[in-house]
Amino acid sequence: MASAPRAQFVTLAALVVAIGCGGGKPQEASAKSNTAARPLQLAQAPEDPATAQPSGSAAITGRVAFSGAPPAAERVKMDADPQCALQHTDAVHKPEVVVNANGTLKHVFVYVQQGLEGKSFAAPASAATLNQHGCMYEPHVFGVQVGQELSIVNSDATLHNVNCKATKSKPFNLAQPTKGMKTSKQFAAPEIMVKCVCNVHPWMAAYIGVVAHPYFAVTGDEGTFSLAGLPAGTYTVAAWHEKYGEQTQTVTVGDGETGSVAFEFKAQ
Amino acid sequence: MLVAPSAVAETIAGHRPSPDLAVGRAAYQQHCARCHGVEGRGDGYDAKRLYPRPRDLTEGIFKFRSTATGTTPTDEDLFNTLTNGLPGTGMPDWSHLDEGARWQLVAYLTSLSAAFTDAPPESVNLGTDPGPKRADHAQGHAVYEKLGCAACHGLGGRGNGPSAATLVDNWGRPTRPKDLTEGWSYRGGNRPRDIVARMLTGIDGTPMPSYAEAVSTDDAWQLAYYVRSLQRDIASTMIAHARRLEGPLPEDPDDPRWQEAPRADARLRAVVDTQGQINAPQTVTRLSVWVLHNGEAMGLRLMWNDTSDDRGTPADALAVALLPQGLGGDVVSLQTWPLRDTPSLDLCLWSAAQTAGEAREAVAKDFSTLFDGTIAGTVRESRAAYLDGEWTVVITRPLAPTDVPGAAQLDAQAIVPVGFVVWDGGNPSQRAVSMWIDVVLRPPKTRGQGHEAAPSKTQGGGGAIWAIASVVLVAGLGLVIKTR
Repeated sequence: MASAPRAQFVTLAALVVAIGCGGGKPQEASAKSNTAARPLQLAQAPEDPATAQPSGSAAITGRVAFSGAPPAAERVKMDADPQCALQHTDAVHKPEVVVNANGTLKHVFVYVQQGLEGKSFAAPASAATLNQHGCMYEPHVFGVQVGQELSIVNSDATLHNVNCKATKSKPFNLAQPTKGMKTSKQFAAPEIMVKCVCNVHPWMAAYIGVVAHPYFAVTGDEGTFSLAGLPAGTYTVAAWHEKYGEQTQTVTVGDGETGSVAFEFKAQ
Repeated sequence: MLVAPSAVAETIAGHRPSPDLAVGRAAYQQHCARCHGVEGRGDGYDAKRLYPRPRDLTEGIFKFRSTATGTTPTDEDLFNTLTNGLPGTGMPDWSHLDEGARWQLVAYLTSLSAAFTDAPPESVNLGTDPGPKRADHAQGHAVYEKLGCAACHGLGGRGNGPSAATLVDNWGRPTRPKDLTEGWSYRGGNRPRDIVARMLTGIDGTPMPSYAEAVSTDDAWQLAYYVRSLQRDIASTMIAHARRLEGPLPEDPDDPRWQEAPRADARLRAVVDTQGQINAPQTVTRLSVWVLHNGEAMGLRLMWNDTSDDRGTPADALAVALLPQGLGGDVVSLQTWPLRDTPSLDLCLWSAAQTAGEAREAVAKDFSTLFDGTIAGTVRESRAAYLDGEWTVVITRPLAPTDVPGAAQLDAQAIVPVGFVVWDGGNPSQRAVSMWIDVVLRPPKTRGQGHEAAPSKTQGGGGAIWAIASVVLVAGLGLVIKTR
């Protein structure tokens, strides 16, 4: 188990890059930990022949536009905990509505909502990571598969509690008082989204999309997404944002095709 | 008085009836629905008068468990909560129901949420109690620091850590960390074992996380004994015995002469707002009082818990309430004052926003006219100090003032009812009130008064009543002869 995923990672990474050339920038999640984990997820599934394999040749790509004037980002006041403030030289703002330079919206969770019924996908062996760093969550929005390991890490020399308010899976509220502490968790059922908060630092919030398959992505600095390796079919693709809610679109893709979807969220 | 969970399990094993949901439902509707709602959604008729709010039992999230965070409590956990109640909340103990009825309630509760099947109890290893003799408070204190407890509970455990005022529960309602010095208000019990359980299981639905993966059970026990050492007794006798001094009364809150008077404690209760609701956690929960007088004036030393020193607007404040001279009518409870047509009270209002050393007394129909200056009031000598989550305020008042029309005229031989009202500027939607406390101004009978801290050293002009009482109570022959 230890070496096989690495070999597959290379293969899959190549595949993803290949798809990316045709249909925009793939796997553009802003969080490093998440982007690292995602190709591995795709790589893992073919190992189990009993499950449907995410080895199709169709893809859905797109971008999430934003129109109107975004609300001013709320400044985070970290005065209460010097350990937090020490780690930032610049002002920190809540990453709620982040509009990119190209007019797209960051931190949108995009996933296949319908079209994969009857197929099941093994959870990847690799863990997703939720890091607490500078008293902020990294990533702020990300996805995991049902049953996938979620590694929760405290990189700060201060107490964090990780209060993940799942309703479809077991919720938990764990203390991580020391730097370097790591805890593993997983979610048993799909849920859009599981919100995690730190009560000690009330500005901290992370949103986890728990899905039963590997076809999900989070928009980053370019506001684009790519759901690669899909079997041919008709899919409902959903885009979720913490402030603006969820939108869906339906798209049909054949083998070897790349379908395109455009979402637009409007300022309220 | 709390029975150990294991002991409970042993004693009731033989009494546990086979579950009958119809019986449980009937008992629930009779006893629980008023607060927890007909369907258990925490929305009963009285729910908004209570804070913390009654739990929505259908969500399956329970605070006090012996089980891992995110899992449901055991039947025994629920039985214990029913039996012991949750001190400091609206949840009473139901120990007067027979055990069979309580078990039927438990069976019914577990039918209200799918969580009991989806997230069955996972027991948490609480380790081994080292016993009080092996408790090392220095180690416990080190664990307290290492685990970051002070972020919410404060360095001294007063519930005044930097994150305390910003905490919300999982439903977005404001909540506050426990003042660890108030052992009597620990919801889930204040024994070391209870504290270890809270540490390792967390208090689900609240900010209190599980430290199961962050601390060894040995350290958890040391921490529990340390926390227990922070707990202070409360003497809710509802009687404050004054001590008489000669000469000027002490003005400084730290004057050692205050210790000559026994401390009396009052638990405070939050007052519902004009909508009949309580929408914020109660932050001021207790008030201690020491009373001295010199025959001319009365000095009150008052100490209460308040997690923040608020001198701006709104400011921390306190009112001493007395019954005015010739009171027409009765003020049964400060909780219902002022209402329309209730009689006026003699109020002595101290506010942290005012010039230091000032309190103002007036007979008033309500608090607001005194607060906003509509009634100027007569200045009374006062001094205040704020330290680590506590105000200490000294207010001095003539026993029988002539400078306030209608003011209470107190007799140095009398027992007078005094009430206290406290506002927390950091929690402005709420005021907390005490019951009426009997302040006993006349001298004590010196012997056979076991509940008094120490006989006064300054009896001075005790007078005839004291002498006669001595004859009756004291068996010392010499004293009897001397008095005759």
